[in-house]
Amino acid sequence: MSKVKVEHLTKIFGKKQQQALAMIQENRSKNEIVEQTGATVGVYDASFEVNEGEIFVIMGLSGSGKSTMIRLLNRLIDPTSGEIYIDGENIAQMDKEALREVRRHKINMVFQNFGLFPHRTILENTEYGLEVRGVPKAERQAKAEQALDNSGLLTFKDQYPDQLSGGMQQRVGLARALANDPEILLMDEAFSALDPLIRREMQDELLDLQSNVQKTIIFITHDLNEALRIGDRIALMKDGQIMQIGTGEEILTHPANQYVRDFVEDVDRSKVLTAQNIMVPALTTNIEVDGPNVALNRMRKEEVSMLLAVDRKRKLKGSLTADKALEARKNNLTLKEVIDKNVRRIPKDMLVTDIFNLIFDSPAPLAVVEGDRLVGVVIRGSVLEALANTEEEVTTNV
Amino acid sequence: MFSFLQQALPVADWVENFTDWLTSTFAGLFSALQQAGQFLMDGMTGILTMIPPLLFILVLTVAAFFISNKKWGLTSFTLIGLLFIYNQGLWTDLMSTVTLVLLSSLLSIIIGVPLGILMAKNETAKKIITPILDFMQTMPGFVYLIPAVAFFGIGMVPGVFASVIFALPPTVRFTNLGIRQIPKELVEASDSFGGTAKQKLFKLELPLAKSTILAGINQTTMLALSMVVIASMIGAPGLGRGVLSALQRAQVGNGFVNGLALVILAIIIDRFTQNINKPKQQAAEKMPKSKKRKLGIAAGVVAAVVLLASFGFGGASEKTKGTINLSYVEWDTEVASTHVVGEVLKEMGYKVNTTPLDNAIMWESVAKGESDAMVAAWLPNTHKSQYAQYKDQVDDLGVNLKGAKVGIVVPDYMDVNSIADLSDQANKTITGIEPGAGVVNAAENTLKAYPNLADWKVSTSSSGAMTVALGQAIKNKQPIVITGWSPHWMFAKYGLKYLEDPKNAMGSAESIHTMARQGLKKDQPEAYKVLDNFHWTQKDMESVMLAINEGEDPSQAAKDWIKDHQKEVDEWKE
Repeated sequence: MSKVKVEHLTKIFGKKQQQALAMIQENRSKNEIVEQTGATVGVYDASFEVNEGEIFVIMGLSGSGKSTMIRLLNRLIDPTSGEIYIDGENIAQMDKEALREVRRHKINMVFQNFGLFPHRTILENTEYGLEVRGVPKAERQAKAEQALDNSGLLTFKDQYPDQLSGGMQQRVGLARALANDPEILLMDEAFSALDPLIRREMQDELLDLQSNVQKTIIFITHDLNEALRIGDRIALMKDGQIMQIGTGEEILTHPANQYVRDFVEDVDRSKVLTAQNIMVPALTTNIEVDGPNVALNRMRKEEVSMLLAVDRKRKLKGSLTADKALEARKNNLTLKEVIDKNVRRIPKDMLVTDIFNLIFDSPAPLAVVEGDRLVGVVIRGSVLEALANTEEEVTTNV
Repeated sequence: MFSFLQQALPVADWVENFTDWLTSTFAGLFSALQQAGQFLMDGMTGILTMIPPLLFILVLTVAAFFISNKKWGLTSFTLIGLLFIYNQGLWTDLMSTVTLVLLSSLLSIIIGVPLGILMAKNETAKKIITPILDFMQTMPGFVYLIPAVAFFGIGMVPGVFASVIFALPPTVRFTNLGIRQIPKELVEASDSFGGTAKQKLFKLELPLAKSTILAGINQTTMLALSMVVIASMIGAPGLGRGVLSALQRAQVGNGFVNGLALVILAIIIDRFTQNINKPKQQAAEKMPKSKKRKLGIAAGVVAAVVLLASFGFGGASEKTKGTINLSYVEWDTEVASTHVVGEVLKEMGYKVNTTPLDNAIMWESVAKGESDAMVAAWLPNTHKSQYAQYKDQVDDLGVNLKGAKVGIVVPDYMDVNSIADLSDQANKTITGIEPGAGVVNAAENTLKAYPNLADWKVSTSSSGAMTVALGQAIKNKQPIVITGWSPHWMFAKYGLKYLEDPKNAMGSAESIHTMARQGLKKDQPEAYKVLDNFHWTQKDMESVMLAINEGEDPSQAAKDWIKDHQKEVDEWKE
């Protein structure tokens, strides 16, 4: 039995809603409806199911109606028509009292900008859900402290949100939802306001959490990579309509229509790929300034054992391995003296197929250069991916 | 089709009728409010004045020190400013003003914050309330005085009523704004956890909107303070009365001192409310709850002790025969006579309140029994219209001064002798006094009666402003035409002459009558007797007026006169 089931859910903003609803039943497009009635369609006749314990990702560009969709699920926005079943109960038809009970016990939300109350401490924020439920103070604080402890934030419990970094604030937002022990977690672009590194960390944490607590999570994002990383199933929305629902793999391999295909940034396979299409930013050390300790530090931070050595003008000078850097540190040498000057260089416009032959007998990544300036590196994975795609293209076109 | 353009719509009559209907329908409610309000305010003012001023100043200075986070600027300003007010003998007035401002602000908060919340929560309410607020804020404050008197008579209560209407809008607007400005996501967060509307309001919206709401309240307090001066026209006691009487009697120094006291009060209130509004320091937030509670309890105990002490004092105050409320107009003649009568009654053991009012309101207050009596009815001409309106509702005790005269007066260097001779002198302007004064009505009738005055006009101001304009004109030997009356000290000071009035439009010689409310005879027979017997001569009055005009305090001047005329005064009491 599915945990959440949505049938023909529609939300129309503005005036002349009945007229707009009738036009939706006639399958007219969102733009037509705006022109004729002035009403904006937020969600256009959406139906899907979410199973117990899965991470269901709703993906789409801004304006695709995904934020409206998630707010319809806990009725922060009232639907214009359609049904939303949670555990078989239709919450679209519930009165305020029953809806409040559902919100208090079953379904909680994490917000894009964290939604923390600035005038309350971290602990007071975390216990909010329990507080409105009327849980006695000692009990709710114990639960809130447990939730904070789980996300390693207990030491900050008496601080205020603006004293914490974004990542920490979002952990509090998550702890606040989890302290309530809901069955369903709604996450509205929860990691979009964080910087990429923290974002990745949070995604991992969410996956760890999911393996421990087995909640049903409905996750909204506009980032395909995020969706592919964490989603068990993905729904892709456009103009309020759901274009396709499936696993990441299904969406990538069998896009239902042109829009989906464009969205997943299916590279144009008729075009021949070159090094600059597949290169990634290089991890470098500036040998005119950095010493061995700085270089080692960077390797540790980036979790690599090799850096490319450049000068001030980003001219490629060679490569530096961890062993060599250690050696330099021990013997008090400069980096210039220990770098390996024999780095494989390839020009920007070199073809992927040619790179393929080079990359297998090179232990280090290939440095992509423009003249003698470093612009990026090519790693094995990206070459393989590129080649796999082109081959698939060939087979499907035959 | 355009007939409505030819004929004025009787809007004034409609408003008049509506107000009359309100006044008569809700008379019971209004009078209960008036009673309760008056009692509350007298109590508050009593308590405030009961506290020894120097102790009060000390307490406020200490409060200023802590409220401003131990900065010396506000602390020393509070100390010096309040000491200055105390030194100028305006302490009681200050306390009355504080009572008025406090109550107006409190009422504005009690009414305004819920209205603001309603506005923030409900679009329809916002659409209805916003234009009403615009109307309230742009309507001149004076306009509110008129229904205020109709509803609540004279004194503090109508002052508070008018102040509340005038000062309410900022609190409502800022509350609405503060709640609407809360990020949508926070509101959604509260809803998504199943918080009720009440929980959302008290746990999220009010705490976050607090500083905006307090900014609104600060504005409201300042507006209430600005209404204090205006409200003194309908008998609200306090610093405003000093400003108003200085204006009417053209005393620059007095006006400045009273105004400065208001400025000091305004700055102190403003800084206090602003500092309360500042975000608390972390240290204050870190203070454990129990400690806060202890502090609260301590503050409560101190307040209770002060209250008890003051009630103790209150109980110990000597018994009086009763209270007599005398109202008067701020003309020099009436200041003199009212204070003389007031001092006589005080010597007999009455508590006397003298309230300066606008002319028409003075009549109304006696007619409605809000004042016990007045000795300032100029009849038959000057107060003709008021007398016609209220003669059945007042008890005419007869003449207290004969041979009073009103007329058109010019300096003696002008070569006109009769109103009929006026042609184009003095910019065809008669310089008058307050718009409601009888002499101004008479002057306007005179313009209609004399064809040579067809294109003349009466410019109204105040008694004080008129005498200043007269003094300026005489200094520069310029022509000026004024509405004059005797007895008046200006005849002793300058060479002036009345213009002949062949058509008798300004009235012949007049008498000043004493009017009492109906029922005073039964309630306060002794006081009634004094009022009934009170009479004196023009010479008597002018001697008191001159003393006052030379800078003597009215009460003191009256006492001096009584001392010199004990025999006559004793006759009044028999």
